[in-house]
Formats: sequence, structure tokens, C-alpha cells
Amino acid sequence: MTITTAELAKAAGQAFEFLKQQPDIQEAEVFVSSNASLLTRINYTSHIPSNGVEEPKSAESYGIGIQAVFKTPQSATIGFGSEPSDLTLEGAKRALAKARQGAVRDPEFHSLPKPTGEPRTLAGYHDPKLLHVRDEELVEVGWKAVTGALRTFMASSRLADLAGSEAAIKRLGLIVGGDVTILQERVAIASTHMPGVQTDESTLIMGFLTAMVEAKDAKGSGWSTGTRLDHFTDEAGVDAATNAIHAIGGERVRSGDYTVIFGRQPVADLLNNLVLPACTASAFYSSSTPFLGKLGKPVASPILTVYDHGAMPGYMGSKGVTCEGLPTGRTDLIKNGVLAGCLTNWYEAERLLHDPKLTEKLGVEAAAARSALRPRNGFRFGVGGGRQFDCQPGASASNVVVEGAESVSPDELISRVRNGLYVGRIWYTYPINGLRAGDFTCTVVGDSFIIRDGKLVAPIKANTIRINDNVTRVLTHIAGITKEVKGTLVWAADEVVYAPEIAVTGVHMDEIAGFMEGLH
Amino acid sequence: MPSKITTDLIDGIKEMVQTLATAHARSLAHLRYADLRIEVAEGKAATAENGASKFSGEDYGFSFGVRVLAGERMVAPGYFGRSLGAADLAELEKILKDGLKAAYRRAMANGELKATVREKFGSLGDSLMDTRLHPIAVRQEVVPAEYQIDPRNVGLAEMVSYTTDVSKQVAAVHAQLKYNFISTMTQLSRELFASSEGALIDQAFALTQGMCYVVAVADATSQELYDALGHQRGWEILEHGVNEPLIQFPTFIEFARGLAREAVDLANAPALPGTDGEVVVVTDPHYNTLVSHEIIGHPVELDRVLKMETAYAGRSWLLRNLDEHQVGRQVASPLVTAYSDPSLPGYGHYKYDHEGTPAKRVMHIEKGIFKGFMNSRQTAAIFGGDPNGHWKATDSSLVPLIRMSNTVFDRGDRDPREIIGEVEHGYYLVGHRIPSIAESRENFRISARKVYEIRSGQLGQLYRDGGIMADTRDYLMKVDAVGSDFRLYPIPNCGKGQPMQTKKLGNGGPTMRSRARLTGPVVGRLD
Repeated sequence: MTITTAELAKAAGQAFEFLKQQPDIQEAEVFVSSNASLLTRINYTSHIPSNGVEEPKSAESYGIGIQAVFKTPQSATIGFGSEPSDLTLEGAKRALAKARQGAVRDPEFHSLPKPTGEPRTLAGYHDPKLLHVRDEELVEVGWKAVTGALRTFMASSRLADLAGSEAAIKRLGLIVGGDVTILQERVAIASTHMPGVQTDESTLIMGFLTAMVEAKDAKGSGWSTGTRLDHFTDEAGVDAATNAIHAIGGERVRSGDYTVIFGRQPVADLLNNLVLPACTASAFYSSSTPFLGKLGKPVASPILTVYDHGAMPGYMGSKGVTCEGLPTGRTDLIKNGVLAGCLTNWYEAERLLHDPKLTEKLGVEAAAARSALRPRNGFRFGVGGGRQFDCQPGASASNVVVEGAESVSPDELISRVRNGLYVGRIWYTYPINGLRAGDFTCTVVGDSFIIRDGKLVAPIKANTIRINDNVTRVLTHIAGITKEVKGTLVWAADEVVYAPEIAVTGVHMDEIAGFMEGLH
Repeated sequence: MPSKITTDLIDGIKEMVQTLATAHARSLAHLRYADLRIEVAEGKAATAENGASKFSGEDYGFSFGVRVLAGERMVAPGYFGRSLGAADLAELEKILKDGLKAAYRRAMANGELKATVREKFGSLGDSLMDTRLHPIAVRQEVVPAEYQIDPRNVGLAEMVSYTTDVSKQVAAVHAQLKYNFISTMTQLSRELFASSEGALIDQAFALTQGMCYVVAVADATSQELYDALGHQRGWEILEHGVNEPLIQFPTFIEFARGLAREAVDLANAPALPGTDGEVVVVTDPHYNTLVSHEIIGHPVELDRVLKMETAYAGRSWLLRNLDEHQVGRQVASPLVTAYSDPSLPGYGHYKYDHEGTPAKRVMHIEKGIFKGFMNSRQTAAIFGGDPNGHWKATDSSLVPLIRMSNTVFDRGDRDPREIIGEVEHGYYLVGHRIPSIAESRENFRISARKVYEIRSGQLGQLYRDGGIMADTRDYLMKVDAVGSDFRLYPIPNCGKGQPMQTKKLGNGGPTMRSRARLTGPVVGRLD
């Protein structure tokens, strides 16, 4: 099923012209998209029968979504409807009928999106090869990741020594899991206040692998991200297996407060589950953010800067325009420790700017708030990726970049910490008492080490410590940030975090799961 | 062929789908097995915020998915899924055939590469095996939905009015309620399953849900609470509530107003001080719903147990390898029995899973002894035991995973008032809130909506932002009382899989008593 952006643009234009002719329609927006998510899910186990590549699969959809503002004798109503698998005028009519049937009077609706004055800066950035992946290629990329890990395991003298022979290493319980995912997204949008029909086409390929030497409770991660098929290698599998081998011999650490260097995955996880939701306009509207009333005020260490940038060339989450037809771009969220802006779509920005409680919620007047509420993040991301025609825009991050004012190398940061922990992968990070409270908890599941006398001296045994802390405390106790950032993925997240490593003082850890030591 | 998508569509395509899954699929040279799943849903939804309507819609869902096991040198799986629309009806047979071919091509390529890797990687290739499915009874059956008010006959305008009114009534509960979001939905869906083995199963489900999210603010404290009232029934459950032996709800308006009152009470309550050591904790059925979900249900999913979720949802502490596991060992107090049962009512009810396996109760813990796992045909073929029917997908276009049906702690024989009354000093946790569970489910921290101090058998001070943290086995082993007040509740949003599938399922339990560390806010450490 290949539908070109030209076909999508034609469908959007045709539907929009039809909507303009309807006497009861005041404003309208047509969003047409075609998405495919091709995914090879990997499951190799040396000690349990397995398939290696467990699920070579895909999910595809295309269709048209219409948002329309209807004139009524009382006041305007707004409705949304969609129709799958039909880009003809008939499909548009069906979507419109649903929008009309469901239209409601929303007192907080002000208008459909209007140009912000910012120019579009990103176009023609996708890889055509990723738009035409054959079934065989889909399977091959999965096996490429698996064999990268298996080659690394086979070549490991450490594993052979532990097992007694190369032939016996399978008894160590080697696991390779994860996936390689290819996303193909094409959209076209026409809207009352926008200039003509706009199109956007994006592709990406990403691999996320976890490897284990399970008999030694050793886990490692590897991932690769990119926008081009010919750039995809076995890197994720090789890194995951290498890191699992490095994790052998893990030790427990005692409960207490530690200086912790959070690796890239934990930085991405903390942002995804705590910081980004706290920086979203709707969290301010509903009074559920720990940053309530703090726009323009310090919320983090002055060395921390966090921004979202959807128009960064070559970055994995980049898009040319939002799913509202507005240009993507850079939105500063935290700048030198000060809360600087929010992730928002058009609707959320407008209703917050018109909210009588704006000053209480954001901490500034409307004039100052407007620059912090630029609608650069109105996306219609479906679960598992894709820009879905059948949902209205939400506010989602794209590429989130984390930077330090005094960036150091990883070795310098470890040396500066001197005694503490390096935490490379965390899991199940939730705001355990609600987002406003900021309390969070998670467990340390791999890629982690003890720092002693300025060096990584031993791995931390996976699944033996739980972090119990508060995100506002963590943000204000940053002791250092490394210079190099890498595109980092978190399970089920929309955005890609270009994350460095960040040192934080006084992080509270609780030792857990002592009973596991004598279990088997 | 009809031009409109309704659940009645299934009647018109059943024969064609069966022929595709049998005669056509079997004509593919190296195909060993195939199944097709088609789902049609007719649903309506409405939302409101702070007393104002925000959205309403009436629409259909239509999708299909294919699984093929095939291969020349080795047998491997391949899948294909797609959403469909009214415009696809005219060419539906061709679309399904093309999907079957794509899944077959993927399985063939997968089988070939599996054989190559198996040859190339010596002993590490030994574990790469042909994909096998455990045999099941092949059935052909039609299973109707159960409801009083047909979701198709509920007027959308009526839903908008009702939902907005609930939101207004919630907002009116107290001035400290700064935000509320209310959603309602009602739908009828029909799932058709056909396999190359000859299965043809047509199941219909009604589902209705009301969801309430509230934020109460008192000074610098916000209490964000949400909860869902839901059942596999019609619109009647929102207007009249549910009064069944295992499921009880008030009307949705009372449900939502109750949650709002609770949020206000909590916003004005002190935060629970955490403890370094264990204390006596009594947990109510709603709290134990999430406990049963997180520390019983998830670790007994056999795909997770066999390491297939290592990169995502994690593994299970209950199995190291096929020779080292907890089956037959004591993992809980003799008072604890837990099982999954698709025959119970509620969100976890169904007769057949998504590979046509007749679903049945599977015992996980019987009087403290671990007994077994939820499984699928593929995992049963690896681990042993009969398939018990827990392979489920959120949508036909997605590949099923092992999911809970109704996973619960069984009832005991104690009066819950006595369980509290016997406590000299302890804490009573009421209602679940937010979980965080260790990777192999060996440790958990779950916050409660409300925590009361118990002194001399009486409930005292109410606390906010509290919960418990414990190692799973230790907590289960220390259970010393189990109540007779068993309840089932809906879990509307369980996430698992890649891409993430969010699924509705059922959990529950009675009042229970054990020991655990109390957790509270980190406020004492903020500076």
C-alpha cells in the first residue's frame, strides 16, 4: 500500500474546497495521513527454545480527519470526524458527517490554528529507501541485530572461561531481546488560516536491544537510531551483548543517599515520565505540575538547559510541520535552570492564554506567557508511532535536547564524583504520588556501576536497588553534565531524548529483593 | 456486500474468511498454520472538562490481522495487520489475501534466516527451533454480547448531556476542585477468528465505561485522582450502577462525586510519614486489585516468564530456566490463593482467546504453593501444560500477547471489620493509585488513594500520598488474614508489548493483612 504525498495533498485540497462551500462551516481543518510501522521483534534465548526473530510484522493505516467549526444560531460548535481507507470526496463527506454529528459547544475554543509568523525550515529530509522496505528486508534487519549480539557472545573469552568452553556458553542463559522498528509517515494538511496545502514526509529506523547473561544476573543495553536504511548496522546488538558481558560480577549496594551519575537512558526516562509532562501546557491548566506558577523562575540547577527542537536536521524525531500545519522549531523548556516554556498545541496555548487564572497557573501575565506558549508541538501520534488521521492533536515532544553549561567528559565527571554510583538503566519510573508532588520511584535494572576513588570499579547487580526521590530535588542538585549527547529511546515514548550523562547529589536508594539471592 | 460498517458485517464475510484461512492458506506450499482475525466495533464517546462539553463522536472500528507459520528449512512466524474502512468492503477478499501473502513472505524469509543462523552459530544456534503450537480443541461457535441497553441505541446527544452534567456536578462538589475531566464510552464489538485448522469463532462484546479525573488544590498541595467504572455491559451501568455478586458500583454520577470528595479530603490531609521498617498494613479490595495485577498477574504471563519481554515489560522471578522455577514451591502464606479466570464477569471475561483456545481458570497460587502460568499455544508448547486461553490483542491488527483475564486473589473467610479490629497499631490502605514494580516483579511500591492510621482496632487519622513498598515473596508470605469481601474491578489501561498495546482487563481480591514499609513523600529531604 503506497500512497504518495502528492495523492495525500490532492485529497486534502479536494476535501478542503468542499468544506469551504458548506454554508454552515465557519472554519475547517483537513488532515490526511498514511502510516506504516514495520517492526521486527527479537527474542533469542540460548537456554530456552526461541525464534530469534519472533515477530516480523507491520501495522498500516491511512485516511482523512476533519475538524470543523459550525455556525449555529446560539454560538459556534466544533466537531471532529474521520474516515479510514478512503481519500476520495466520499470519504471526506463521511468524516464531515461524523464531525457534524458530534459537534459540541466548547467555551474554551477560540479558533483553529493561525500562522505564528515562524517559517518552516525542514523539508525533504526522509530516506526514500525506508518508504519501500520489502518483507525480506524487514526480516533481515532483525536478524542483523540478533547476529551482532551472538557474534559478540561467541567471541567473548570471558564467557568461554566462565562456561568452561565455547560450546558451553549457551548454559549461561544468554538472552537477546528488543526490536528494530521502521516508521513511515506521510501527511497533508489544509486549514482555514493556513497558506495552501502543506505536506510532510518522515521516516526513521531504530533498534533497541537488551542482552543478558542471565546466569550471572548481568544485563546490557544497546540502541541505534537513524533516518536512513543504509546507516543501520548491527551496532545495537553488539553494544547490548558487550554491555551484558561487562555487567558480570555485579555487586549489591546498601540503602542510603548517593551521588549518582544518571546515564543517557535514565536521563531520557526521567524526562519522559516526569519533566516533560510537567512542562506541558495542559498540566499547568489542570494545576497538576510541580512547576505551577513558576514560569520565569528557577526550577533546576543553573547549569541545566532542556529544549525541544522538532526541526533539527538529521535528528530522529524531526518533522517539517506539526499535525496542525504549524512550523516545528526550538522551544526552550528549562534554560539555565529557569522554567522558560511549555510544550503545547494551538488549542491548549489559546485556552491557557485566555484563562482568568493564568497568572496563578503560570506565574506571569498573558504578554509574558505568549512567548512561552508557542504551539510547535501539536502532533497526532498514535501508539507505536505514526501521525494518525483519526485523532485530534495533542501536545507531544519531538527531539528533546539536554545540555549543560559547563560540560565535561564522562571520565572527568566520574573523577569529580569520586565516590558514588553510575546508573545506566532504570525502569518503571512513575510520579508515585501524582505529578504535582514530584515524588518518583524506579528500580535500577542494568548498565550500572559503583564509582570508587573516581573510577568505575564494579558493576551493580541488576534489580537490587530502588530509587525513591523527588524530581524537583533532583533537578536542583545537579553536580555536572557531560558534553556528548546521543539519541536515546524509552519504551512507548513519542519523543527521542538527545541525552548526556548527569550527576546528581544525594539521590536516595533502597536496597531490595534480598530474597532473590537464595531462590534458585 | 454492505457499504456501511456495522457489526452485522461479520455475518456476510464469515464464509469467505473461513475459506481464506483454510483452503486458500493451505494452498501455500510451505505453510504450516495460519489464522485470520477480523474485528468490527460500533462505539460512541463523550468528554467534558470542568462542566463544559469537549468532544463527542460516534464511529466504527474495522481491522484485521494475520498470523502465518511457514518455512522450508525451518518453521517461523510472520504477521501482517491493517486498519480498514468502508471503502475497503468492495475488495475485502483481495485485501485479506494480500495480507495473508505478506505474512507468508515474512514467515518464509524468517524461517530461511533462522536456519542459516542456526547452522552458523554452533551451540548458540541450538536453541533456535521450529515454531510449534500446542494442540487445542478446534471449535466453531457464536458467542453473543450481554447488555440491557444496546450501545448502538444510545443517543450521542444524550451521552453529551449526561457526561457534561456529571462534570458539572463534580465541579460543584467543592471550591478546591480546580479541574475535572469526565469521559464516557459505550460500544459493541464483534471478533471473528478463523484458522487453517478449521476454527471459526464469532464473539461479540458490549463494553461501557465512565472515567473520572479530578484535581483538588489546597495551598501547595494538589491531589490528582482518577478511577474508572466499567463492565462488559450496556449503557445501563452508568445510569443505574452495577449490583452483581462480584462487581458493585454506584451510579456514575455518585462514583465521580465520591472521587471528587475524596480528592478534597486528601488535599487537606497531612502527608503520610514513611517508615524504615515494616508495619502492619491492611489493604482493601480496590487496593488489592492493583496488587493482584502487578505482583500476581504480570509475573505469571508465560511470554514474560520465558524471557520474551526482557527488553520491555521485564521477566519474572518465578522462573530462571526450564529446570529452575517456583512451580510446586511455597511463595506465599497458606492463606493466599490466586488465579486467573476468564469465566468471571467484567473486563476480563471472554470464552475464547485470540487463537481460538477455549479459555479456562488457571490456578497460580493455591494455599501458598505456586501452581502455574497464563499461557498461549506457542509458550505451552515450550513449557508444557495445556493452553489456557490468555493470548489476547488490543486490536485485530496487532499481534496478541499473553494478557490477564480476571486475575485475582481468592476470597478468604474473615470479616474485614475483624481484620482491622485486631490491629493494635497499623495502617489501612484504601484504593489503589500508582504502581512501580521491579523488573522481574520481585519488589513493588504502590501508592494508595487514602491511608488511615489504625490504633486499637479503630480507624484514625487520614493521610495523603502514602503507600507501601515490599519484596513480593516476603509480602505474600506475611499475609495473616484474608477477608470474605471479594470484589472485581476494571483495569482500563494495562500496557504491554512493542508497540505498546493498552488493554482493558479485570483484577480483584478481598481485604488482606500483611506487613510492609510505609512510603510517603520525599518532602522531608527537600531543601
